Amino acid sequence: MDEMLKEFLAESAEQIEAASAQIVEFERNPADAALIASIFRLVHTIKGTCGFLGLNRLQKLTHAAESLIGQLREGAKATPDVVSAILAAVDRVKRMLAELEEAGQEVAGDDSDLITRLEHYVALCQGAVPEETPVEQGPGAVADAHEPAAAEATQGKRAETIRINLNTLERIMQLVSELVLTRNQLIELARHKDDESLKSPLQRLSTMTSDLQDAVMRARMQPVERVFANLPRMIRDLANDLHKKINLITEGADTELDRQLIDLIRDPLTHLVRNCADHGIETPEERLRVGKPATGTVRVAAAHEAGQITIEISDDGRGLNLAKIKEKALARGLTTPQQLAQMSDEDVSRFIFAPGFSTADQVTNVSGRGVGMDVVRENIQAIGGSCALTSKPGQGSRFTLKIPLTLAIAPALIVEASGQRFALPQHSVVEAVGLNGGEHKIECVQGSKILQLRDEVLPIGSLAELLRLPVPAERAGAPEPLAVIMRVGAQSFGITVDAVIDVQEIVVKPLGGSISHLTTFSGHTILGDGSVVLILDPNGVCRSLGLEQSRESHAASVENLPTAPSDKTRLVHFRAGSGVDKVLPLSSIARIETVNAARIEYSSGMMLMRHQGRLMPIVAAAPDVTVREGDNTVFVISPHGEPFGLLVDSIVDIVEHRLDVEIGGEAPGVIGAADIGGKVVELVDIAYFIDLLQMPQERPRDRKSRLLLVDDAAFFRDMLSSTLQAAGFDVVKAGTAAQALGHVAQDPHFDAILIDVDLPDGSGFQLAARLREAGARAEMIALAPYATRDVSRNADAAGMAGAVGKFQRNQMLDLIRACIERGREGTPEESFRGVAA
Amino acid sequence: MSLESSKILGETLHGAGNALDGYFSIKVGADTFGLPVTQVQAIFRIGAVTSAPGGPPDIVGLVNLRGKIVTAVSLRRRLGLGPEPGGKPEGAGSMAIGVEHRNEAFALLVDEVGDVLTLTAETAIAPPPHIGRRRAKFASGYNRIGGQILPLLNIDAVFDFAEDR
Repeated sequence: MDEMLKEFLAESAEQIEAASAQIVEFERNPADAALIASIFRLVHTIKGTCGFLGLNRLQKLTHAAESLIGQLREGAKATPDVVSAILAAVDRVKRMLAELEEAGQEVAGDDSDLITRLEHYVALCQGAVPEETPVEQGPGAVADAHEPAAAEATQGKRAETIRINLNTLERIMQLVSELVLTRNQLIELARHKDDESLKSPLQRLSTMTSDLQDAVMRARMQPVERVFANLPRMIRDLANDLHKKINLITEGADTELDRQLIDLIRDPLTHLVRNCADHGIETPEERLRVGKPATGTVRVAAAHEAGQITIEISDDGRGLNLAKIKEKALARGLTTPQQLAQMSDEDVSRFIFAPGFSTADQVTNVSGRGVGMDVVRENIQAIGGSCALTSKPGQGSRFTLKIPLTLAIAPALIVEASGQRFALPQHSVVEAVGLNGGEHKIECVQGSKILQLRDEVLPIGSLAELLRLPVPAERAGAPEPLAVIMRVGAQSFGITVDAVIDVQEIVVKPLGGSISHLTTFSGHTILGDGSVVLILDPNGVCRSLGLEQSRESHAASVENLPTAPSDKTRLVHFRAGSGVDKVLPLSSIARIETVNAARIEYSSGMMLMRHQGRLMPIVAAAPDVTVREGDNTVFVISPHGEPFGLLVDSIVDIVEHRLDVEIGGEAPGVIGAADIGGKVVELVDIAYFIDLLQMPQERPRDRKSRLLLVDDAAFFRDMLSSTLQAAGFDVVKAGTAAQALGHVAQDPHFDAILIDVDLPDGSGFQLAARLREAGARAEMIALAPYATRDVSRNADAAGMAGAVGKFQRNQMLDLIRACIERGREGTPEESFRGVAA
Repeated sequence: MSLESSKILGETLHGAGNALDGYFSIKVGADTFGLPVTQVQAIFRIGAVTSAPGGPPDIVGLVNLRGKIVTAVSLRRRLGLGPEPGGKPEGAGSMAIGVEHRNEAFALLVDEVGDVLTLTAETAIAPPPHIGRRRAKFASGYNRIGGQILPLLNIDAVFDFAEDR
């Protein structure tokens, strides 16, 4: 059958289906103008298409029906006879459509009876025929006779397309999302069970869930044509406004994308196309002058590529004006001439993504107001996409957008930092690199951490530090063993984490209003084990590493410092250590204190002093600065309300001077060298010291109690440790008595120790005694499947604090807390250890 | 597994009876507040808490309440009270009241949820003049009942973190 005919049939069936309720209503309420209009439209549409397809019989009938309905629309009275004639016609149309479907062509037949009847009423309505003339052939007789057949036939046809309410579709999507979560939860549970009978149905459930997810996702897909549709008009208007000749080519309009995403890419895409037309394409005269056809071409092409959609927006215009971009970048202080000299063209072109950057000389209503490319890139990145740009002078430029297929469900890496888990969207993850092998090492360069990976030098930061997570006492100072390398736009960077735990499909849920301002997170989700995790926003992480700002913050210092002679800074000129004298802007120092050596306390290698009623850490401004007898000079620096002290040797002077910093300080903690009054000094980098202090600073407030859990069954170890972690404890796990002894030998400072009474290498009661010999001073708790009287007695005899059943969660937690309380009272210096460290 | 789900203790609590003017008395530290029964969606003990690094300090974290993520807020910290005398950290196991505010689901951590009280126009009194401003903003009204002054909790102020950012 002809494609067109098929489409017509599907469409008509759908329309009649949709109108059926109205037809029924029309029967009861024939005077309703809205109903009449709606049925008129239906019949009219079918009539129009029939004429187009050469379906004469249908056309004649629908024409007659349309005329009659038209009369009603004009205000003629809908008598029962008229209504039934219309209904008979609708039924006949249905039947004919069914026959058409079956035969593939119009079936011969005679509708003159019905047509005559319809025409009669038309004439009647127009007042041409006297009312009493009967043309009736038994009201609805023909239609009634055929009704059942028609109904059956239409049913056979229906399955091809249906319209679904958007809310219904969203609801289905939501349910599938929840189903995915539940599936993940089941898989997680099954992992700990060796039940073969469970595995195969679970496997099936898993596959089916994935298929269902796929199918629903496909149902949500819509062609990008929806966005492309308004481009021709826009280009035409632009061409008129700008006196240019522009030809728009769209390709791959049928590429499908999640409908939510379609709406989200509309603005960025429109903006880019507008940019091509405005900035890219030259005027016809200019084009002819350089030997190009007068008409410029803007091409928008969408394609499906490896689970992503690629949309290219290109033009054959003049390309980016690199010279102008350089000039603007310099004028706006985004870079320095030295930096520019080393930049590739690609690097230079990237400036157009800087906030508020525009090279348009005139502000038109089209573009040039400098709101734009940065917003475009941000919007694309916000949906997990990327935006790249290539340009050739005189030949045009091309923007490439890469966009994920859907937003709702995304694969993510579950990483752990400082005992807390986070989800990291996989689309931005490049790889994970182990740092323990010694092959890849994190180095500190001018106060910033970098990782050398193959040929690249990547900026890197610790996730725990970035989020200011409390670091467990036993882990303080230990470097994180894993680096996750990510890429946002053109920027690659790494974050270090403790572990990558899993890869899961997560259902992204938006953050609640009270924490939605946190840019490091894009949402939250519930993992398979029921716990809530926050989803890291790669863009936000990138920003909080200070990467995006680096250029601008430099710009700020360029603006503030060397540009004009009037730009003088008040500097504290001081000595610290054996190197050259140092300076700090006075504005960065909250107070300068003279502190007697007796006021400075030491704790675990760190200096502390009381400052305004609180303990404040102190760092030496250089490695060889030490506390001297008598008075010492301490700068109190309070970057974000958390003050710290910077110990220096002596203050030389406070000067007002222009600061010309030559980047290139070698030592950590130094931004670079500067010249004040003919003397070379080093500008101290406060950020370095903040970095240095961040972990210890956070620790005192949030020290967690540290537990040792000894159990040989992995199932219980996992179950109990997650219960305990959830309750706010740090848990060190041991599977055997030997392991437990090993842990205690390494660091005996536990707050409580939980021991399974049944261990492969000896009883738990014996282990309790051996641990105590090894130096463990914490209270101990016996764990048993059930806390029977025997177990309790034995625990007592072994000097343990008590016994508890492994499933008695609340009793266990109460007992642990009681033990910790007792431990604190008994050995105050012990519990203070973590606070001071 | 450690599906430390939050445990519902009560829900759709009372019949139509005096629900309209019924108030829960909720206790935190030495303070007692009234909270309209109609505002309370559930009373539960919260399970595992996921902290929200960088969020307002009064937000304890996020909690899974039957598959829904709710934001746990410490009323104690909100009111500027110190930590609990026992030193027990707020978190898993704390008593919480489920309240929906501006389309965000919250769990308000309190020490205790007491009886339902019936307040009328007669029990309402003018705000005592000597209440500090920091505390006064958390009360939407005052009542005298059984010889005691009962401030009513101002939900809008409790869940508005705009100042804390």
